[in-house]
Amino acid sequence: MGKDALLSQFHSVAADPLGYARDWKARNGGPVIGSFPMNFPGEMVHAAGALPMIIQEAQDQITVGHGLLFPFYCGFTRSTVDQAAKGDLAVLDAIMFGDHCVQLLGAADAVRVQLPETRVIFFQLISSMCDPWTFGRARETFLGLKVELEEFLDRPVDDDALRASIRLFNRNRQIIREIYELRTAGKTDLSASQMQDIVKSSMVMDKAEHTALLEQLLLEIQAGADQRRGLVRLHLSGHFCQAPKQEILDMIEECGAVVVGDDLYHGFRYISTDVNAEGDPLDGLARWYLDRNTGVPCPTRVQNDVDWDAFLIDAMKREEAHGMIVLMAKFCEPHMYYYPEVKEAFEKHNMPHLLIETEHESMALEGLKTRVETFLEIVKRQHAAKTAIPA
Amino acid sequence: MNLVTSQPKVANKLKSTRMAGKLVNEYWDMVFRAKEEGKLVCWYEGSAINPFLEAADICWVHGEAYSAMLAARHQEGPAQQAAEERGYMKELCSYARTHLGCAVTNQRNRNDADTGVTNVPDDDDLAAKLPAPDMIISAYAYCSTGQQWDEMTSRLFGKKIPIFNVSIPWIWASKKDAGYIRGQEWDETSKYVERQLYDMVKFIEERTGKPYPWDRLRELMGNVKRASELRLEAMDMCTARPAPASFFDWVVSIAPINNLPAGPEIVEYFQAVRDEVAGRVAAGEGAVPREKYRLFFDGIMNWNKVGWLAEKFARYDAAVIAGRYTHMAFWQEPDLIDARDPVLGMGQNYLICPNNHSSPILVDLIMDLCRKYEVDGMVIHASRTCRAFTNPQFLIADAASKRLGIQTTMFEGDVTDESFYKDELVNSRVEAMLEAIDARRMAAA
Repeated sequence: MGKDALLSQFHSVAADPLGYARDWKARNGGPVIGSFPMNFPGEMVHAAGALPMIIQEAQDQITVGHGLLFPFYCGFTRSTVDQAAKGDLAVLDAIMFGDHCVQLLGAADAVRVQLPETRVIFFQLISSMCDPWTFGRARETFLGLKVELEEFLDRPVDDDALRASIRLFNRNRQIIREIYELRTAGKTDLSASQMQDIVKSSMVMDKAEHTALLEQLLLEIQAGADQRRGLVRLHLSGHFCQAPKQEILDMIEECGAVVVGDDLYHGFRYISTDVNAEGDPLDGLARWYLDRNTGVPCPTRVQNDVDWDAFLIDAMKREEAHGMIVLMAKFCEPHMYYYPEVKEAFEKHNMPHLLIETEHESMALEGLKTRVETFLEIVKRQHAAKTAIPA
Repeated sequence: MNLVTSQPKVANKLKSTRMAGKLVNEYWDMVFRAKEEGKLVCWYEGSAINPFLEAADICWVHGEAYSAMLAARHQEGPAQQAAEERGYMKELCSYARTHLGCAVTNQRNRNDADTGVTNVPDDDDLAAKLPAPDMIISAYAYCSTGQQWDEMTSRLFGKKIPIFNVSIPWIWASKKDAGYIRGQEWDETSKYVERQLYDMVKFIEERTGKPYPWDRLRELMGNVKRASELRLEAMDMCTARPAPASFFDWVVSIAPINNLPAGPEIVEYFQAVRDEVAGRVAAGEGAVPREKYRLFFDGIMNWNKVGWLAEKFARYDAAVIAGRYTHMAFWQEPDLIDARDPVLGMGQNYLICPNNHSSPILVDLIMDLCRKYEVDGMVIHASRTCRAFTNPQFLIADAASKRLGIQTTMFEGDVTDESFYKDELVNSRVEAMLEAIDARRMAAA
């Protein structure tokens, strides 16, 4: 299969994740277990022989969901509740959630009421990351999740199977990280939307199937080279639970930028960290949970000895990015809390950034385009001034 | 139609609650003097950990209480503006924005002082008057905002202030034995919180450099327990017709049970409230002189509008009798507190924040209150920036309609940001609900 065909397959799954789940179920007959973002150990479900998939924001208009959550909630929570109310999530045999965000908790409550026949499994991960008991509590939570999964699926999740799933998931993450490196180094011309398709389909597809496709893609793109020279190199930041709309990503690149790195959840954040495949797998998963936040800090967690703003500045230096666009999902409270820290740090370091607030509903792209074009002009001038050879 | 004009007041507020204003003023004066008196200051939000601090002679500042006080005095503007200038967006919890605005103001003044610019806040500038923290303790049930707000406070002060986090899990209640304050999940979660509270005490000892005075905590918790019992007894008497006190009287009484010094004064306060309520029941005196409707208030308080809303409903002859905010929180289960060994019971009361049980339990509790107080309708305040309270509101409205057959109405407002409140919408929606109640009564007759 050629590069375009592979990318097309990733795109199809990313565009219709529930359709993929239905097909997978028809092909395999096994249960499908959905999960809320962002810290779901899919390895555990995979080891039990089920398909883990991360529930995605749908692209259609929210209708009946308006009767369950107020309009001042983020697009992901409103869309998830809307999908549940419309019956779209019926393909899921169970839904797991364990995050801390108050809007996600509200959505989970509403989903449980809408889907009385679907098991909604809750495991609340500790969100305070540097307490002496954080590791132990995270492990305890994963153990509780494992016990409930085993009970629900009526089959044990043995340690060897879990370690095998961890190795497979690690391989999947490693290949995507390799693709990221190629893109940062200018050795592939994959667009931001194509990168999103790769990551988003990984959240949905059978991992072995997805990994096989990734192996092929890696071979294909290593043969090519990035033709996009002279463009403004950008880092994209933010957007946690939901994927940014592809029309925004495309618009940014059409304005004369190339995205060379990101910390989006539907991006590098998702694949940043591997799980130790040796030893006790629950220890490995608990360690992974902690390591992810030191690797790519997340404002949904609190960790006083880790700074997201410092991470972003380092990432931009590593990626040789000229500027950063912050994509903030409207009403995302953790992001709103942390943003002033990022803003202050970037101003202090004289690093340009632009904040774009995104919405589930359609956005006025033309107005945004003007802002992005202006921003890119500023970035170009600043970059030229910094790199100019003194007379 | 604006019903709140310069006409004589209709709402018959409890006279005893006037004492609350005096106690509140004395408490904040104590806070403002704390640094001069050489006291350590701890900022915290959410759970009422203040007895732990008070026992150790640490001055406590409850973020929501300060923000609410500013809003009730219509002095929240400068703090909210300072927060906005730093980049905190309007859609963030306005309690947090207001309190963070105080931190921003404090840091600005300190930085100005460093540069030699004299910037002594004037006495009326309450955003600047709040003493900076020497420690932060985060112990927030249910809402992720609490923990993030504390973390950002710590960062605003350059991460130089020690911070301690107590994690309080949500009660999901999916196990077969799950229920209100019972079942395996409840027991395990209670123990988990208790363990962390003991670690929190070690953190306090490290800050004070002294052994923790457990006897003092026991004494304070004895007062809290008694005050809580009196408060609940008085609330129970409001099943009488007409209701002797209103939801708004209980709102005014939050500070004494939640964050004021836990000395004998709070017992005296609630004894006075209880006695006045009992006297009114005996005399047939109502909080609303011509009680025609009995309502339940779901949602957090709109602190800019306490008196305004009390008067508005009274003019409609509507007694707002009970609410999720007042009747399901604030040391709500005194029987769980063993004053001789109070830590577990304190943790359990923190777990009974009005939102910390998932909807099956939460909705049942609210329906029970509506039945108990025999309400005709429910007013739902959708507080724009308090998603902890708005999360289950559609489920609550649905249950009220289907299980109890009562009318509900919703209006949008906010805890401390007045700009989200639209008075005309409140009028038209409340009037529509009351007319629907009338129509039902006529049909039933």
